[in-house]
Amino acid sequence: MEKVKLTAKDYKTKIPIVWCPGCGDFGVLAAIHQAVADLAIPPEKLGVVSGIGCSSRIAGYINAYGFNSIHGRPLPIATGAKVANPELTMLVAGGDGDGYSIGMGHFVHAIRRNPDLTYIVMDNRIYGLTKGQVSPTTPEGDVTKTTPSGNPERPLNPLALALELGATYIAQGFSGNVKHLKELIKKGIEHKGFSLINVLSPCVTFRGKQEYDYVRQHGVYLDELGDYDPSDWNKAHEATQWRDKLPIGVIYHVHGRKTLGDEIAEVQAKARAKKVYKDVRELIDTFR
Amino acid sequence: MEEVVLAIAGSGGDGVITAGDFITKSAARKGLHAFMLKSYGPQIRGGESSARIRVSARPVYSQGDFVDVLAVFSWKDFNRFIDEIELREGAVALYDASDPTPLEAVPIPKEKNVRLIPVPFKKLASEELKVPLAKNMVLLGVLAELLNLPADALKDAVMQKFGKKRPEAAEINIKAIDLGSAWVRENLPEGIPYRLQAEGGEPKLVMTGNDALAFGAIKAGINFYAGYPITPASPILEFLARELPRFGGAVIQTEDELAAVTMAVGASWAGARAMTASSGPGISLKQEGIGLAAMAEIPLVVVNVQRAGPSTGIPSKTEQADLFQAIGGTHGDSPRVVLAPADVEDNFQVAVEAFYLAEKYQLPVYILSDQFVGERSETVDEAVLFAREREIKRKLPAPEELGEDYARYKLTEDGVSPMALPGMKGGQHYISGLEHNEKGWPTSSGTLHQVMSEKRAKKLPLIAEESGFVRVYGDEDAKFAVLAWGSSKGAVREAVEAARKKGLKVKAIVPQLIFPLPEKALDAALKGVERALVVELSFSAQFYRFLRAFYDGLPKATYSYARAGGNPLQVQEVLKAIEAHYGEKVEA
Repeated sequence: MEKVKLTAKDYKTKIPIVWCPGCGDFGVLAAIHQAVADLAIPPEKLGVVSGIGCSSRIAGYINAYGFNSIHGRPLPIATGAKVANPELTMLVAGGDGDGYSIGMGHFVHAIRRNPDLTYIVMDNRIYGLTKGQVSPTTPEGDVTKTTPSGNPERPLNPLALALELGATYIAQGFSGNVKHLKELIKKGIEHKGFSLINVLSPCVTFRGKQEYDYVRQHGVYLDELGDYDPSDWNKAHEATQWRDKLPIGVIYHVHGRKTLGDEIAEVQAKARAKKVYKDVRELIDTFR
Repeated sequence: MEEVVLAIAGSGGDGVITAGDFITKSAARKGLHAFMLKSYGPQIRGGESSARIRVSARPVYSQGDFVDVLAVFSWKDFNRFIDEIELREGAVALYDASDPTPLEAVPIPKEKNVRLIPVPFKKLASEELKVPLAKNMVLLGVLAELLNLPADALKDAVMQKFGKKRPEAAEINIKAIDLGSAWVRENLPEGIPYRLQAEGGEPKLVMTGNDALAFGAIKAGINFYAGYPITPASPILEFLARELPRFGGAVIQTEDELAAVTMAVGASWAGARAMTASSGPGISLKQEGIGLAAMAEIPLVVVNVQRAGPSTGIPSKTEQADLFQAIGGTHGDSPRVVLAPADVEDNFQVAVEAFYLAEKYQLPVYILSDQFVGERSETVDEAVLFAREREIKRKLPAPEELGEDYARYKLTEDGVSPMALPGMKGGQHYISGLEHNEKGWPTSSGTLHQVMSEKRAKKLPLIAEESGFVRVYGDEDAKFAVLAWGSSKGAVREAVEAARKKGLKVKAIVPQLIFPLPEKALDAALKGVERALVVELSFSAQFYRFLRAFYDGLPKATYSYARAGGNPLQVQEVLKAIEAHYGEKVEA
């Protein structure tokens, strides 16, 4: 088949973007446009399912089959779609509130089930669309509209959690470094099974421009460390536990785990090995 | 006797349900009609259970109000079902001879004149067979001999279950049946009055409503099912988990109800025929996903096997009180369809109809079943299942509609827009739970919200005019009608028959489509009706109030007979209500 050259421009849409100027999500959008163009994924074979939140609007800004669904549920929706049509490349997108708070149950079970989805979480450490409430990744002590005396709760560590749950591709990117993020997304798409890309994607409106500085000052690029081996679970675990440093890059990546699609195909083969029906009507014999 | 109603009660491990299943199966094989209602206590294992089986030469629509023959392993077990098992005057009760209860303490009113017969079920099983567990099969043999149940068919059913896999079990069970029969010939040669004299017909199938529904979904071409275990809907998940993969479909048991409904939405968005099922509490959780399907116009079938509510309610007992939830659940003006199966075979047809409507009109369709119609077993005629064919089809865009200008929510005459499926070249678009314009782009315009609300609602009157959704039984020209829905049909249909035998002119009207109401068909059915009675198992009379609010065609003299669920409707109580509201004095 003749390969058509696709560029990032081919993946843009005309839907007006609602994000604030300076929003980190612009960087994520650019990285996705470039990643899918690099991989030459035909737009009609690309599905983008998102939840609710500022970042979830991203589904409208990519020339694909986009589904800006409901709060916390993009993972099950994308799982259903991928099972229904395994030929689709499925991106799932949302924010920290969507994925790590209201959608946490699905996050845990998606990792357990291992559908071939690439989950991009735009983690801005705040609820932006609802204008500035504390989120599950807001640092302890931070003042927000709902924590006027400082956040009394500890933030969640999604990377460590994903690792414990058995995810086989875990990365952390920074929306201020599109080129680097693009590569993480490409690897995630190419990975067979569930991939998590947590993107530090600052909310300049409710957390200020200094969020960018924070990531620049504390971010550590794993591939620059020289001896970092993303297939080493213990190393990965260590990186997820860093206190004053933010690991950026592929934190953990191993191959070979069966995907949900593999499992379903096996279930079908086993069921058919026991009995095959040529016609639905033959099921009647079950009731005699 | 043309028919007999028997009940067996016991504790877990007594094999009560197994015995009931064998009786039902053997009746089906002989071409008789059977209806079996299982009842459980809350215990998972070791709790009490009962099976009530009605076997008849004629079609039966209810469990039968009065039990002719009761068989119990202990009176203690029977005590727990005293509320559910009403014995006929002059009934026969077989009980285990070793039961220590003194005769005067047997929990049956003296005035019922019940004949008590001690039978050594346990002793025969443990002494003659050395298999105490086979006591249920001894009981089966006793019943078969006394009631003239088809013994050969009974043994066939036993062989079918155990013959191949556990021949030794089959042998013991058959010996136990023979032992029971022999005991009767020796000790009760005069028999009992309840001897079935019935010619059988063509062999029938036996299925539960839940299985029929799952089977119907497979007939309708379901590709994807997601569900979460819940009583009494789990058998649908289990049936599909076993059978659907053989047809190339996928079944996922999800982490929760939210995932179940949204996975089904996702699968349908990608082109699959998708369904999810649950019961009341689970349906409460699914509301957001159902609203999404309504807003994004995604075909979806949602089954609610209702149980007694609110909240956890009585998980193992039936009720019809989720009607308002089905009609009005989820926020916003959200179009949906509500279908209700009225008996076991109807579950099959309604599943097909649900997919037909969901795919054709691109919206969520509820199947409002309940524990009574879902868990009971009935004999079913094979031909009836496939009597009504539907062409199930989703409207897809023509090639010229694809491309830059493709509009997912294009305004059309019937409100249905061609749906491009992920994978179709040039069909890329964006959808959401947000209000949107024709292209799917989000909007907060009130004007557009009005336009799109109209678009979505346009489908409903068309659905209401789809044919075949109202059934009428009884006197066509009756001036008195009983309106019922779902599982109330059985008792209502028999009550109408009983009333007619008493000389009343009555008909029953049972819509299969509850929302949108098939008004024209109802108008036709109610033509000439001057008084009506709405019968249902909902304490607050939801169906009566729904009809009052949504339908102009009811006669002014329309009455309600409504009570809380738990115990299924009885024919006698419906008959009494008919007589009370008939309008003329009814001779006792």
